[in-house]
Amino acid sequence: MTRPLLKVSNLAKSFGTMTALRDISFEVEAGEVVCIIGPSGCGKSTLLRCINYLTFPDGGFVEVDGTHIGREPGRDGKMRMQSHKRIDQLRPMMGFVFQQFNLWPHMTVLENIARGPVKVQRRPREEVEHQARALLARFGLAGKEDAYPSALSGGQKQRVAIARALAMEPRLMLFDEPTSALDPEIVKEVLLFLRELADSGMTMVIVTHEIGFARHVADRVIFLDGGLVAEQGPARQVLGDPQNPRLREFLAQIHEVAAPADLSTPSH
Amino acid sequence: MTLDFSVILDNWQLFASGLWMTLVVALLSIAAGFLLAIPVAIMALSHRRWLRTIAGAYVEWFRNIPFIVVLYIFFYGLPFMGLRLPEPVVGGIALAFYASTYFSEVIRGAVLAVPKGQLEAARAVGMSYFMGMREVVAPQTLRLLLPPSTNTAISMIKETSVLSTITVAEITYQGLVVQGATFAPFEVFLTTAALYWLITSAFAHGMHRVERAAGAAQGSQQARHSLADKYLQLGMRRNK
Repeated sequence: MTRPLLKVSNLAKSFGTMTALRDISFEVEAGEVVCIIGPSGCGKSTLLRCINYLTFPDGGFVEVDGTHIGREPGRDGKMRMQSHKRIDQLRPMMGFVFQQFNLWPHMTVLENIARGPVKVQRRPREEVEHQARALLARFGLAGKEDAYPSALSGGQKQRVAIARALAMEPRLMLFDEPTSALDPEIVKEVLLFLRELADSGMTMVIVTHEIGFARHVADRVIFLDGGLVAEQGPARQVLGDPQNPRLREFLAQIHEVAAPADLSTPSH
Repeated sequence: MTLDFSVILDNWQLFASGLWMTLVVALLSIAAGFLLAIPVAIMALSHRRWLRTIAGAYVEWFRNIPFIVVLYIFFYGLPFMGLRLPEPVVGGIALAFYASTYFSEVIRGAVLAVPKGQLEAARAVGMSYFMGMREVVAPQTLRLLLPPSTNTAISMIKETSVLSTITVAEITYQGLVVQGATFAPFEVFLTTAALYWLITSAFAHGMHRVERAAGAAQGSQQARHSLADKYLQLGMRRNK
């Protein structure tokens, strides 16, 4: 029996009296692309940030390829919190791409990608830069090594942010709203790019509110509502034949808005 | 009434030594104050409440009393605790502590002005809090630090005049000496004023040029980066 690459169990998070995540459990197989959708404020981004412990969840477990990050059960069966140092070490197992990319403006593109591996993994700079150049070339950004992020377009920034995460050689990638900070025209470009990344075998968890996007890129879709997984399954099934009434409502509402981004209709 | 500046020329050595003393004490106490401010700012930014409380109390204590009182507390307090130091050293230490509270607030403000996502991106690639602060946040605070740091430093240069009350032979003290010997207060204090003006305006001018270089570097980020490196050499241990 193969174990899932990412296993999230009973994850919970509250901010004061506001419960963002009630009880979230799901699994992601290696090579899968999973989109997490849901109305704004349903805790999508919080969930993503809790998975790699950028935000510490209040309860529940996260396992990547059988390794716990954050809370882990001890030998005596009791929960135990890992040291912050240990969590910092484990965090880059999951590459994280921020909604606003958060590139470092005071470093060149190459340095943005190389700084993590050099400082955190203490790999030789030469080797890391070689890898970074290869990533940039693969992403169509050859020649941008010495540019600063401010000189890049939105789409280019995003690809640098992805390259920065990939340089740490993560087991899977987490994307927070990859299309929301970009012009609508290049949403298709991003979609194709992520599709390509998925085809190279990378496991991805993508938070999005663009249903058209989810439909085309996801193998599986998870619908979040009220801090719970309200529905999950193959993308075609969840989006084409929703069972949950809230999901139906959500899809009906979003359909009109997202229609231009629906890529199945080439002309609009 | 006529001004007779010959009394200044007759006593130029006293003014020169006063100028030198002011420069040395100001420079050292400002540098020490800035270094001391870094851990205070880090504590003030901590997510641990007790660290924030300590930093807050430290800043509030020094900021809400006049410097002359701080100085007297150090001047009379240190010998009381069995520590006898030369007056310029005691004065410099008192000023360094006093300056550190202002600098720590400047640093805290600059760090808070760097978007939160910058540190988060550092954490996401596995950097610890301190590594992220050093690699990502600190270099970006430089441009934000310069103007308020200049203001604070100029205030502190002027505060060195208070050290005359504990007989540190800086500009104001020497002015008082010359005035006592010559009974020409107007000439003496105009000269004293001119000397302070010379120091502070030269300092402000120099910092303004650094600021401009850092500001221009927003267009060509390379210059800003090397400035950031300089800052790191000055402010914290450089890891390379």
